[in-house]
Amino acid sequence: MYQGFLSWRFLTAKRINWVGIIGVYVGVTALILILSIMSGFLEQQRRMVRGSLAHLVVEPSPMPHIDGTPLPASSEPLQQAILADPRVESATTQLSWFSMLMQGGARGSLISTSRLSDTQSAKLVGVQIVGIDIENELRTTDLLASLQPPPAEASINQTYGYIAVENPNDPFSEPEGLEYQQPWAWCIVGQQLAIVHGLRRGSEINLGTMIPDPQTGKVRQSNRKYLVAGTFRTGENEIDLGRIYMDRRDLHDFLGTHRDYSQVLVKLHDYERDGQAVMGDLSASLVQKRLIRDAGLGELKTWEQYRGNLLGAIENEKVLMAIMLSLVLVVAGFTVFAILTMMIAEKRRDIGILAALGATPRGTMWIFLLIGFWDALLGAVGGAVTGVLAALNIDSIEQSISQALGVEIFNRDVYLFDHIPAVVDPVSVGVIVLGAFVCTLTFAAIPSWRASRMNPIDALRYE
Amino acid sequence: MSEQLALNARDIRKSFQIGERTIEVLHGTHLELRRGERLCLMGASGAGKSTFMHILGLLDQPTEGSVEVEGVNAWGLSVNERAKLRNQRIGFVFQFYHLLPELSAIENVVLPARIAASHGANKIDLKEINERAMEGLTRFGLSDRLTHRPSQLSGGEQQRVAIARALILDPPILIADEPTGNLDTATGKKVLDLLMEEQINRGLSMILVTHDTRLADTCDRVLTIEDGQIQSDSKFDIPH
Repeated sequence: MYQGFLSWRFLTAKRINWVGIIGVYVGVTALILILSIMSGFLEQQRRMVRGSLAHLVVEPSPMPHIDGTPLPASSEPLQQAILADPRVESATTQLSWFSMLMQGGARGSLISTSRLSDTQSAKLVGVQIVGIDIENELRTTDLLASLQPPPAEASINQTYGYIAVENPNDPFSEPEGLEYQQPWAWCIVGQQLAIVHGLRRGSEINLGTMIPDPQTGKVRQSNRKYLVAGTFRTGENEIDLGRIYMDRRDLHDFLGTHRDYSQVLVKLHDYERDGQAVMGDLSASLVQKRLIRDAGLGELKTWEQYRGNLLGAIENEKVLMAIMLSLVLVVAGFTVFAILTMMIAEKRRDIGILAALGATPRGTMWIFLLIGFWDALLGAVGGAVTGVLAALNIDSIEQSISQALGVEIFNRDVYLFDHIPAVVDPVSVGVIVLGAFVCTLTFAAIPSWRASRMNPIDALRYE
Repeated sequence: MSEQLALNARDIRKSFQIGERTIEVLHGTHLELRRGERLCLMGASGAGKSTFMHILGLLDQPTEGSVEVEGVNAWGLSVNERAKLRNQRIGFVFQFYHLLPELSAIENVVLPARIAASHGANKIDLKEINERAMEGLTRFGLSDRLTHRPSQLSGGEQQRVAIARALILDPPILIADEPTGNLDTATGKKVLDLLMEEQINRGLSMILVTHDTRLADTCDRVLTIEDGQIQSDSKFDIPH
């Protein structure tokens, strides 16, 4: 095919053509690299969010049924009903509440008092206290992984503030060698929380809260001291900075609430396959058994729905980034358009010669369209290879650039990741390459069509 | 009669629209080119000979009239069929050589064969064509210039490459538009000798467009075009 032969010769004859190829190349590389990093962030966030939850969350409303009957005070019937489904692997009950954290002891009290008297203090934070059944919790969520010591190659961010629990399978047991006069309960706190409050193993913390009485509507204050047994680290800042785990019975005893549970977390054997079906079936059966009020009120959610806002925000950022970066491809397309238009003006005489030698107008169009094809092929394939390689080696690239510039490009403390996460999705790479082809060929088609409409005589007269 | 004609142009009129003005360049011109005939088309600059040549070479459509190539009404064919006819039955040699600057001498010569392959000419064997192109260029004294680009060749060498290109598919008709017009006298003579030799050896029907009267002396017939019309048709008895 003479069109392929000539288009390649025309392409390689002029260096300016490489500008078009480089444009497509840069666009494809940038799109693949940035989307891979965004996907990595999304994946990392999903893992973190998913880690502290389970596949499904059953969160019965605190309100009674329409006829005034309160929901069961114990989670037992709810948990049994959930576990009756063979697709459910395990379930665990949690009781959660909010409180203010104050430190115990003479020094701790002084710090807490100074913080309480300073309304500007960023360290004056409320914490979520979560009562768990440790055996079921470890079976159902990723808490055990959060209790493990940081890996040897971990950054200072991961190791700083870490307090190992004596026994990860029983984190609320009293650590050996620490004896206290009073039989206080032990708790585990988020690693960031421990750093902010300067907590160590055995530190006293005083949790103060307010509990409304559902019968009288009055609010009573309550506080209790706990001892820090260790820290956990999920990687999700919100949780690591604001959550304390303790035994559910202790917490229920502290709060004295009617119900001894807030939610039941459910782990399925195969969430991808059965997630939606189990949701539907559980909704129907739990409403029928009057263990929840109405599934439509959001009392039953998948973990993705539960943290939908966060995941949705990252997904939106990814889509917006893709749209913005697609403009790079449009610019590359314009470059190809401009170069081809210039080339065709320059090659008017050659177009006439080709017509004299028997080339058809369609054949002439194909010559220039194929130049656009070569631009797209070289740019997109080169860009895809570079983009994928760069995404897979983004950490070493970032470190090299950081070293060369003397600036830390990726602050691991900010993101709580020890590496830049990047996930290369072959489908996305395929779509980007295809998009580059469509964009480039569309822009190449216009000047190519014009070339085919050129009168050979006008072209031959052009000296 | 018409089957003996390589080209038959009848009542050719050509006008151009410039703004609101219509300018008629050819006013009902006739031409019959017999097989193996060497015809010279002469005329002053602006007389319309280039326009007439483009029409005869199927590069330009007449406003009125018909052009038959070996008995086939060329303007009754589709664009693709006409391009195929031009590719395989008519060879062109231009004053300014018109070689593609990106291609080497041999690639320029082979180009019509590549185009013919795209027209579905199944007899085209590019390897054989390549050999034939090499042989032709060697015969034209360009054996050491095969891979040279046009910019590396002299005017005479470029014109010889252009002649080899025009003849690569063995077309029965050759249209040469002032083939020596851009060459010095000595080089022009060499190129012309080459062209005449090929015309005789291949039995080509050739139209030689020129305003050089010395060239006209070498032709079987001389047509003079003035103000868009054939003014004289002279015959010479020149033995080939």
